[in-house]
Amino acid sequence: MRVYFRYAFKETFSNLWRNRMMTVAAVLTVAVSLSLVGGALLLKQSAAQASFQWQQGTRVTVWMQPTASTGEISTIKTQLAIMPIVKDCVYFTQAQDFQEAKKLLPLPESSVLTVAEVPSSYQCIPTVPSDAFLVRSTLSNEPGIYEVTAPNKQIREMNKVIRVMQIIFLALAGVLFFSALVLILNTIRMAIFSRRREVSVMKLVGATNWFIRIPYITEGFIQGLLGAIVAIGAVTALHTWYPLPTQFKLSVGDLVGSNAVVLIMGAVIGSVGSAVAIRRFLDV
Amino acid sequence: MIRFENVSKTYKNGTSALKDITLDIDKGEFVFLVGASGSGKTTFLRLLLREELPDRGRILEAGRDIGDLPKWRVPYLRRNIGCVFQDFRLLPNKSVFENVAFALEVIGRPRSTVESQVPQILELVGLTDKSKNLPHELSGGEQQRVAIARAFVNRPLILLADEPTGNLDPTNSESIMALLERINRTGTTVVMATHDKGLVDRMRRRVVELDRGEMIRDQVRGVYGIDEVGVL
Repeated sequence: MRVYFRYAFKETFSNLWRNRMMTVAAVLTVAVSLSLVGGALLLKQSAAQASFQWQQGTRVTVWMQPTASTGEISTIKTQLAIMPIVKDCVYFTQAQDFQEAKKLLPLPESSVLTVAEVPSSYQCIPTVPSDAFLVRSTLSNEPGIYEVTAPNKQIREMNKVIRVMQIIFLALAGVLFFSALVLILNTIRMAIFSRRREVSVMKLVGATNWFIRIPYITEGFIQGLLGAIVAIGAVTALHTWYPLPTQFKLSVGDLVGSNAVVLIMGAVIGSVGSAVAIRRFLDV
Repeated sequence: MIRFENVSKTYKNGTSALKDITLDIDKGEFVFLVGASGSGKTTFLRLLLREELPDRGRILEAGRDIGDLPKWRVPYLRRNIGCVFQDFRLLPNKSVFENVAFALEVIGRPRSTVESQVPQILELVGLTDKSKNLPHELSGGEQQRVAIARAFVNRPLILLADEPTGNLDPTNSESIMALLERINRTGTTVVMATHDKGLVDRMRRRVVELDRGEMIRDQVRGVYGIDEVGVL
């Protein structure tokens, strides 16, 4: 066994060195493909994170009738307080909303507005952002309520866009992963083809298939791993220095996670690619 | 040692390579396999190596039906069979020593065995002083001797040679034959396919002649051509 390990080790590295141009080509192929895969993964994560942050800003506003009685206002307050889907509410009096309206509306309109015409309101944060529309449907018909507004439509549109984006990125990553697999398979097949004589001699003198296979698989594994490391470097550098909006910035943990995926992909591409590539040279 | 029982082999394209061959080769025998190109000599050798399986009949080596051998055992079968070819099949980027050592390394022999066996076998084939040379620095005859050293370094029970002198001049052919004879004297069974009439006639060993897949002659102390039998 020890003899074999030494043989496999020696053989792997002498193969890598002897076919260094091929090795460089394979490593770069994997690096380019995996950079794109890694980039796609990061974009997918960034999109998810950004959508999460946007949703965190979701507010439901319960507008009371300007004429609503104190009783009605406090009934709504208790109702909101006991709703589990509502996290927190702040009451804005008519005077406070009047000040806000004056800031927001253009001068001709705000100058004719009086405090009595402005509705008071509850500004609520839903426990789960996507539940905003539930608050709306529960409260809309209560007495004293003028209107419940929630950015339902925008959120749903946004979620749809993000979901489509994620699917596109994942599909892109899948296609790139596959193309990297085919490219490394081809590279290793060429490397083996140039040494088919050696393989045939090995078979002739009674080497077992695994004996022949392992150095090639190790070779592919190392090529894939090197490619993945280059790709990780490129993606991390891009993520660190490219001026992305902060919502898109990922935490170190997320970055490490996506890089781990890339590393595993590289190793898998390399070993599986070479295992497939050598298969037909072993059949006699 | 080797036993063919009603062996037939037809290739997928319809070529009938061997027809109903029954034959026994004893341990330590030296057998010439003669016949025109396409007569089935190479198929005969490929069947012995289990590179092909017969369509009918069975082949026994050392008492075992090699057709029953599971695929993963085939390499172990081949460790008992040395092989020499017309085109030498040396690895061009390895030295003479490495080429021979390769045969031991790939079957997992420890380095100490490699270091004791290889010089011994190189001495047997008379290439001790060329052990560091690369194959392309050697003559054809020398290359074939390296190939024989590689085939024999593992001390196989059987040595197969497919026209080993096909690419060599008469002098080199002689020395290769002398070497194979020497190996045969150690008790190794040698089966040699050849076109070399002169060699066969001089050696006076067992001759098996194939013609379009059929065994038309099996003669104990034979010569190359059937017509010459009458002359003798």
